Amino acid sequence: MTELIVENVQKWLGGLQILKGASLSAERGSIMALLGASGSGKTTLLRCIAGLEQPEIGHIRIGDKVALDSEKRIQLPPEQRNIGLVFQSYALWPHRTVKENVGYGLKLRGVNAAETGKRIQHILDRLGLGHLADRYPSQLSGGQQQRVAICRALVYEPRVLLLDEPLSNLDAKLREEARYWIRKLILDLEICAILVTHDQTEALAAADHILLLENGRIVQDGSPHDIYTNPTSFYAADFLGANNIARGKVLTLNGNEVLLGGDGWQLNGAVRDPAGLAPGADAQAVIRVERVRVLPEPGAGRIEMQLDDSLYLGDRWEYRLRRGDFALKAHGAHSLPAGRVYADIPPEHVWVFPGQAA
Amino acid sequence: MNANSIPAGRAGPGDGIPTPPPKIRHRGDARLYRAITIALLAIAVMAPVGLIIYQSFLDGPFFSPRSTLGLSAYGYVLTDPMFWEALWTTTVFAFGMVAIAVPLGGLLAFLLTRTDIRLKRTLEILVLVPMFISSIVLAFGYTVSVGPSGFVSMWMRSVLGFVPWNLYSLPGIILIAGLSHVPHVYLYVSAAMRNLPSDLEEAARTVGASIWQVSRDVTLPMVLPALIFAAALNLLLGFETFGIPLVLGDPNGILVLTTYIYKLTTLFGVPTYQLMAVVAVVLILITLPLVFFQRRLLRNSRRYAALGGKGARATPLKLGARGQAIALSIIGFWLFVSVILPIGGITVRAFVSAWGQGINLWDHLTLANFDRMLSVPSLSRGIVNTLLLSVLGGAAAVFLYLLIGLAGHRNTGHSNTVLDYIVLLPRALPGLVVGLAFFWVFLFVPFLTPLRPTLIALFVAYMIVGLSYGLRLLQGTLIQVAPELEESARTTGATIGRTWRDVVIPIVRPGLAGAWALIMIIFLRDYATGVYLMGAGTEVIGSLMVTLLQTGAMDTIAALAFISIIMTAAGLTLALRLGAKIHD
Repeated sequence: MTELIVENVQKWLGGLQILKGASLSAERGSIMALLGASGSGKTTLLRCIAGLEQPEIGHIRIGDKVALDSEKRIQLPPEQRNIGLVFQSYALWPHRTVKENVGYGLKLRGVNAAETGKRIQHILDRLGLGHLADRYPSQLSGGQQQRVAICRALVYEPRVLLLDEPLSNLDAKLREEARYWIRKLILDLEICAILVTHDQTEALAAADHILLLENGRIVQDGSPHDIYTNPTSFYAADFLGANNIARGKVLTLNGNEVLLGGDGWQLNGAVRDPAGLAPGADAQAVIRVERVRVLPEPGAGRIEMQLDDSLYLGDRWEYRLRRGDFALKAHGAHSLPAGRVYADIPPEHVWVFPGQAA
Repeated sequence: MNANSIPAGRAGPGDGIPTPPPKIRHRGDARLYRAITIALLAIAVMAPVGLIIYQSFLDGPFFSPRSTLGLSAYGYVLTDPMFWEALWTTTVFAFGMVAIAVPLGGLLAFLLTRTDIRLKRTLEILVLVPMFISSIVLAFGYTVSVGPSGFVSMWMRSVLGFVPWNLYSLPGIILIAGLSHVPHVYLYVSAAMRNLPSDLEEAARTVGASIWQVSRDVTLPMVLPALIFAAALNLLLGFETFGIPLVLGDPNGILVLTTYIYKLTTLFGVPTYQLMAVVAVVLILITLPLVFFQRRLLRNSRRYAALGGKGARATPLKLGARGQAIALSIIGFWLFVSVILPIGGITVRAFVSAWGQGINLWDHLTLANFDRMLSVPSLSRGIVNTLLLSVLGGAAAVFLYLLIGLAGHRNTGHSNTVLDYIVLLPRALPGLVVGLAFFWVFLFVPFLTPLRPTLIALFVAYMIVGLSYGLRLLQGTLIQVAPELEESARTTGATIGRTWRDVVIPIVRPGLAGAWALIMIIFLRDYATGVYLMGAGTEVIGSLMVTLLQTGAMDTIAALAFISIIMTAAGLTLALRLGAKIHD
């Protein structure tokens, strides 16, 4: 069931347009991630959905309610949208206990005291906070505060749960756990959730669907696997994963196959975005680090390269390779001596895009 | 040519629609509340000013049907040599005050913030004391201690055979005013100095500069914006000053603009409202530009502060034994002159029945001055009214300031700009003029006339006098509430009004208590606002003292001044207990 429809939302800040027509629709029982670099407009889009920012153009429908309609000049304030928002800083009210923080939404909705108490206890127990009901936020750890914030946003059963970088204030170990249980909780409760993040791992692991934003535009949307393995733009390819970038010129172009070359090197690749690609034109290739294999002996399709150094990373080694102005990173299980090595780079994993204008 | 020059992946100027479409009005932003509150405030501030301007263009009092429009009042005032003399004296007075208060205040701020001077905690509070005491009380205190027949002057005469100073002269008045305005400078300069990263000074010391070279070559240039701001502020206070020239200048006929207005009241036996209005207009024409100048300075100095190190470590400069002795004696001498002399004088004077050459004060100790407080109805009413106005009126004023503060809180509309400017206006108005203007408003507006002989009239005037300070206190508190705390209430389902009630106000409550205590002191010490507004039944201590000065009832004034000091001390203690930020 579709709970949220956003169509062509545009927002200006002074003379600067920071959202240039974003559209999305989100289903119940699924998590959609808004992923992008800082300044890409993802938090602004979330705040537009919440009603905390006022876009000039667009339509937003939450559940069966029109929250924004620029033609009919409708713009509902946040309190009428029936949403739950979890803030990056958690934004727990310092003068209220955990119980009072969580219960506020129920109080505003006129739920009677007995029912309120029951529902608060239920959700707190569910998130393992039952024993902390009478504490003040300042007496809780960061992870506990985060769970209280989620309880507060969920307890009144909003149509849409919005999460603004909910994990960024947690330390690395807690974060891995949190993205697992938050996902499980949302799926169990069958909520429609929108998650804003700049952390690709978080988006890939927690979401069912990812929207990638760049400069106020949605540049790609799809499942995490789709976005990671089938990027349609250089920005999308480069934003996700750990990558090598090769910049050069198109030497030959044959349908989808392309030969890219630079100062002292040539590389076979696959065209991902044909616009502006022609022999002699600038081009750039994205190669995921994990797709490169480094071997001591030559073989079919392998490129001879100079190994400058091997860096020990604990669970693996990182190799720093070079040939002319083409620098390459790769991983392997063993330390290799500096000198001549051979890199195996499968052409279907050399994603070629038009070059950036100088 | 241009399409290619735009880097790919970046929005160019031609990208999308060049100008944003109009905003969609968002219901639930309390627009109506904000507009009404700010409009009411605008009326409360503009009405008295408007009436003054209107009155200045009449040739008689505004209530007289025979008054006609004209420039005759301007003609009279601008050809009156006494007016020009008063204007000149005011100018000399204001600049002289700045010349004394700024260097001393700067020095005090340096010693108390950047060095390891002893007794720092105590001194930081003591230094502010003169600011909290009404200047009429201070001035009276100087009269009874170092005036021509003051206690200290008597003692001097008995030792030296003559008194080496003349308090009732322009230099004497300027000196007293300058010393009592040192706290105003100290407050701003010390705030700037606290924000200075001390490594700048340490760097200077490591290359071999002495402590005085450091303060001159490093600290001084860094706090120059704050010093200039403090100078502008004191210049404004100088032009608005009333109590000190009234008490100390009057006996020798030294007039400033405010006392000139006051003298006009009694000059002709009939009300000369039009002349008073003209002088008030002249005064506003001088002070308003000063207020705007200050506002610009403050913006610039904020820019400066933003450049300074954040969370700067403050390692105090070591003064050494000799330095400590010198520094403590400078501060001690200033405290003696500015605090102990006037307050001590009043304290002694309040408990004796007679003094003079060769009289042993111990033989004349008495409580008779205070008995009079109980037996004379106007005096006991004055004390009760002062308490009512400052304690209850202070609370009511803080509540109103809160309502105004909320109207401006996260207000992105045009009404906020209006609010910004309205708040500036009362700063350009001396309390005497505000009181006079409201007296006229309560005479002029028919449905307000019944309120004139009540404390409500005084409260409204006090509220406007305290507006800029009170609103600054509250805005400072409101801004500390993180925006997400309010936004999370909104997304949870609270309207903006509920958000203010359930989240914002509970969080700022401690700040409100502190603000209440400080506003209470402001109302307690006020003496100028009530001069015209008070009548039988609405007497207040400060204005009673002004009136009693005319009759020379020194015993009564001394007792009232003593009570005023005790009340102020109580208010200050309360403010410190409530954690009020008196250093802001």
